[in-house]
Amino acid sequence: MHTLIQEMKNKFSGDDDFFALEETFMDSRVVLAGFNTLLDIATTKLGLQAYIEAAVLTGTARDELKAELGEVCDRSDSAKARLSLLTGKLLICFEDDGSCVIMEPTPKPLNRAIEPPINENVFQGSLNSFTEDIHANIGIVRKQLLTDNLRVGSYHIGTEETTKISLLYYEGRTNMEFIHKLVGQIQKNRSRQIENLQQLSKKIMGFPSWVLISKFSQTELPQEAANFLRKGRAVLFIDRLPIALVVPSLLWDVFFLDSDRNLPLPLMLFLRALRLIGAWLTVVLPGLYVALVSVNPEVLRIEMAISIAQTRVGIPYPAIIEMILMLFILELIIEASIRLPKNIGPTITMVGGIILGQAVVQAKLVSNLLIIILAATTISNSTIVGLQHSLSLRISKYVIVIMAAIYGVLGILEGLLLICAYVASLNTYGIPYIGFSSKKDEIKHG
Amino acid sequence: MKRTLKRGAGLSAVVGLLCALCGCWDNRDIDHRSLPVVMGVALHDDLYEVVLQIPETSQKGIDIRIISQTGKTINQAVDKISERMETSVDLLHLKLILVETEYAREGLTDSISSFMRARDISPKTIIAICDEKLDPFFDYVASSMTPKGTTLYDCFEKNAGWNPQMSLTRIWEVYRSIHSYTRDVAIPIIKSGRSGTIDYLGSALIKNGKMVDRISPEETLLFNSFNGQSAQGKIEVMDHASVLILRSSVRHRSKFAHGTPHLDVRITLKVSIVETKGSVTSKLVKKEVEEILAKRFDGMLHKVQTQESDILGLGQYFRKDIPRAQLRNWRTEYLPKLKVDFKINTIIQNDGNTKLT
Amino acid sequence: MDKSWQVTLIYFITHLGLIFFMYPGDIIASTEDGHWIPIVLGFAVHLGAIAVYMKGLVRLGNRDIVSMYLGMGKGVSLLFLLPITVYFLLICVVSVRCLSEIMTVVFLSSTPLWAIMFLFLFISSYIAFKGIRSIFRTGLLIGCINVPVILFFFSASFQNVDWRYVYPLIGKSSFLTNPSYLESFFVFAGGFLFLGFTQPYVAYRKRHIVFGALALLPFFVFSVYIPILTFGQATASTFNFPFVVALDTISITWIMFDRITLFLLLSLISFMMLYLSIVLWSAMRVVNQSFPSLKPAYILLAIPLFVFIVCLYIPDWKDITEFYWWGTYLRFYILVAVPLSTCFFAGRIRKRKVGL
Repeated sequence: MHTLIQEMKNKFSGDDDFFALEETFMDSRVVLAGFNTLLDIATTKLGLQAYIEAAVLTGTARDELKAELGEVCDRSDSAKARLSLLTGKLLICFEDDGSCVIMEPTPKPLNRAIEPPINENVFQGSLNSFTEDIHANIGIVRKQLLTDNLRVGSYHIGTEETTKISLLYYEGRTNMEFIHKLVGQIQKNRSRQIENLQQLSKKIMGFPSWVLISKFSQTELPQEAANFLRKGRAVLFIDRLPIALVVPSLLWDVFFLDSDRNLPLPLMLFLRALRLIGAWLTVVLPGLYVALVSVNPEVLRIEMAISIAQTRVGIPYPAIIEMILMLFILELIIEASIRLPKNIGPTITMVGGIILGQAVVQAKLVSNLLIIILAATTISNSTIVGLQHSLSLRISKYVIVIMAAIYGVLGILEGLLLICAYVASLNTYGIPYIGFSSKKDEIKHG
Repeated sequence: MKRTLKRGAGLSAVVGLLCALCGCWDNRDIDHRSLPVVMGVALHDDLYEVVLQIPETSQKGIDIRIISQTGKTINQAVDKISERMETSVDLLHLKLILVETEYAREGLTDSISSFMRARDISPKTIIAICDEKLDPFFDYVASSMTPKGTTLYDCFEKNAGWNPQMSLTRIWEVYRSIHSYTRDVAIPIIKSGRSGTIDYLGSALIKNGKMVDRISPEETLLFNSFNGQSAQGKIEVMDHASVLILRSSVRHRSKFAHGTPHLDVRITLKVSIVETKGSVTSKLVKKEVEEILAKRFDGMLHKVQTQESDILGLGQYFRKDIPRAQLRNWRTEYLPKLKVDFKINTIIQNDGNTKLT
Repeated sequence: MDKSWQVTLIYFITHLGLIFFMYPGDIIASTEDGHWIPIVLGFAVHLGAIAVYMKGLVRLGNRDIVSMYLGMGKGVSLLFLLPITVYFLLICVVSVRCLSEIMTVVFLSSTPLWAIMFLFLFISSYIAFKGIRSIFRTGLLIGCINVPVILFFFSASFQNVDWRYVYPLIGKSSFLTNPSYLESFFVFAGGFLFLGFTQPYVAYRKRHIVFGALALLPFFVFSVYIPILTFGQATASTFNFPFVVALDTISITWIMFDRITLFLLLSLISFMMLYLSIVLWSAMRVVNQSFPSLKPAYILLAIPLFVFIVCLYIPDWKDITEFYWWGTYLRFYILVAVPLSTCFFAGRIRKRKVGL
């Protein structure tokens, strides 16, 4: 028997869905191998039959037929054969001369259709979203960007388990130095295995892992991804991940959405200003409450001071504990409502609403004003673009709350300064996070 | 791995340290502080008497609590009060300081300087003089005024109970008048009235922190409009009519010749007629307004010059003419000699809804 | 890449931070009338120093002044780098101690002093640790957040102004020898030194700095004149921090907060943090280039620690002013010697290159 087939059979001996069928093509014995869970064997065979009949009729030579069927590969290249089998290809081995052909069969329909986005909402923009299949994703992007300057590079990462990633960029608009750096990193570390984005950013890209803000901006929306490409950013796709990863990520991704530009200019500016204010409020409000209630009550107007004091009568712990407690419950509610299936989700909303809205106040556990602050914080936290950004924002507000508890209003402003310094210190291969363009800053020193 | 451990240790150390820091010094929450809104100060036999009006928060609403103590210094008295309260007294939100008339006559300089020095008392605190003993006055406030967080202070709040006949003086202005060569202030004088009101008696002329004389509410109105504070909304009562001042503007021209200062003052009033008695013409109203105001101004100027207390800030107009060394003597040397040419121009902007015959 | 805009902004906001705390008090104490004369004189000196310094830096090209001094031999580098380092340390000590004292006086009465100093040093060394480019970008962000706040409250601080307090306009020249006046040069010297340190990392057009300096002039003038116009000279001279008190007299009724002007002070403190971080970073550069074997990270830990300890040993306000006064000689030495020597040495280096 064919050595390659024997090798594959040994390799996949534990897999019931692996098949190796013996057939006769044009008087020569061949073996068809593949996974029947990945390809539709009956239709594929029909297709093959049609090829062969046509070949017989026109009198095509066998070698030409091989070339027509697919990619002819060397028999010794078992790694390639294995990879093609795993990615759902059909392996055709000719027994007499030992050559092999990797053919694109009719696949089993394992992908979902292109659907509207789930994690991001679109306001007046195109409704497509990326899906699991990397080819479909690249195709969608090509549909968005009808240009011959779009470049796509694909890489298989990992030796034991292979992941396909694709790098897209807009030639002529992208900083090529940056692309070379990216490609170099991928090439250098292509043998490392990745299972998630943390590993991608650490093992492949070499980014530090202790960062609050991801080096990748994520988007589900082809329109946004295409726009990032136009602006000279690179987009990474990972097979089976329905997200486009935009590198380098910039601060303004948090506030500016491309579909804003479908609105008239003043409205667009209004929306963006709202998001900026929202982010600012999220960070400052809880800290302000703590600072004003426990450290610097003189900043409050007397009327407010008295009414806050009134609502705090009988609350047994200091403002900082009160705040952290309620923020923690709020985080739990947010996390729980993500975890729960959609049909139970409303329960959490209801129960959370009861806790936050009425019960804690009536039970004299927290003050009225705190609930208002909490609600305002949560709402304003959600105004910014992208879920992972709002997470970083949620974490950074704790820094301010703690500093406000120690230093009062001074702590808030210094905390803001700390956060600004942190954000300003981030860069992706020398491209600063807070820059407007993805142009490279000078070489990193000191 | 080692690095991760190190980082983890560092991070937990920072968090632990922060948590420890949070409770390190006493940052008292707002509900554990008493925030007095009004403070009364009197001086009897070298002992300060301090009365604090503290809004007490309870779950039902707000009560007013009045506590008084005596001490060698104001601070000592406040501390004594603080000791006796279940919460600590914080003067951060003090809005109004009431001073007894006798104390004001003796001189406020020390108290004002210490108020300015103190971190917790805002320089924006309003100061007023109470023309009776503090205890009965505060008893009256507690018993007959509606309990509200800012009772009494509301009388002076510009967008609440203030009216243009009242002078509105803050601590920093009094402090300035103590040190400045050319400027004094007028402090409002109040007294308990009847049926839950506070009577306003006029303003005190202050010279170097001492009360030297008083002017009537009507004169204070003029004082306010002279100083550019809008006197809008005031009803001026005369024999024949009352008018509503809509806008007032002041123009000054100063002249300094042979050691004698001259000042030209032109006040333009825009008024609207509100009430008339009998048949009057707008000409008559105009004439009467001008006459009355001129008379009042002369009266006030006379007081200012004899008491050498420059509440109108007249010296300000001569700062460029008199060298600094002599400016020091403005109040004693130049102010009594000052000649003022005062003219009022009244414009009756409208007659209200009905025509004037 | 051209970073003129960023550098000018940093220059601008660090000076804003410097101006409002000690400067008004010093100027008001130095003379009784005609305050604009000492202000303008000091500013002219500052402008002159900057102009000479910039000229030198242009000649120097893409190098910083530390490497220039080191290239001139041991004697020269000792003559200039040692005073610069000492001066940087002095700046750190004085400003940290001063700011924390101001904070306890006006704002945080129950917070211990060491905690405030710790906060200031921690933040500034954290920023310094991130490197000069990061400092510039932080300045950009914090400037965007704070400059509108500052401008708003700065314009609001004209509320209680009585313009007639401007007179008399002409004063005596006795202020020249007044120690307070000499101390006021704290604002003018030291703030511009960092411009010579950024060179290999951040390039900028030198002319922009002069524009930045001109934009500062109104702030110099009004930081002194706002207290004077509000209180009058006689009263303003009784305050330790006249501008801070003048801010306290402002009432804006339509904002939900009461002592809102404190936000202006605190925003200025953020700028001071930025200034401190630049000073720390510059000091680190000097030490690091003179002794390349020391790691920058350790230097950046050691300097703040040293400053912190010194600050802890200063017991009261009188000693701070003493410290402040000691710095005066050094200050004038820096103000005069560094720009001139930069100009001179840079010219020589250039000639030598041309000669080869």
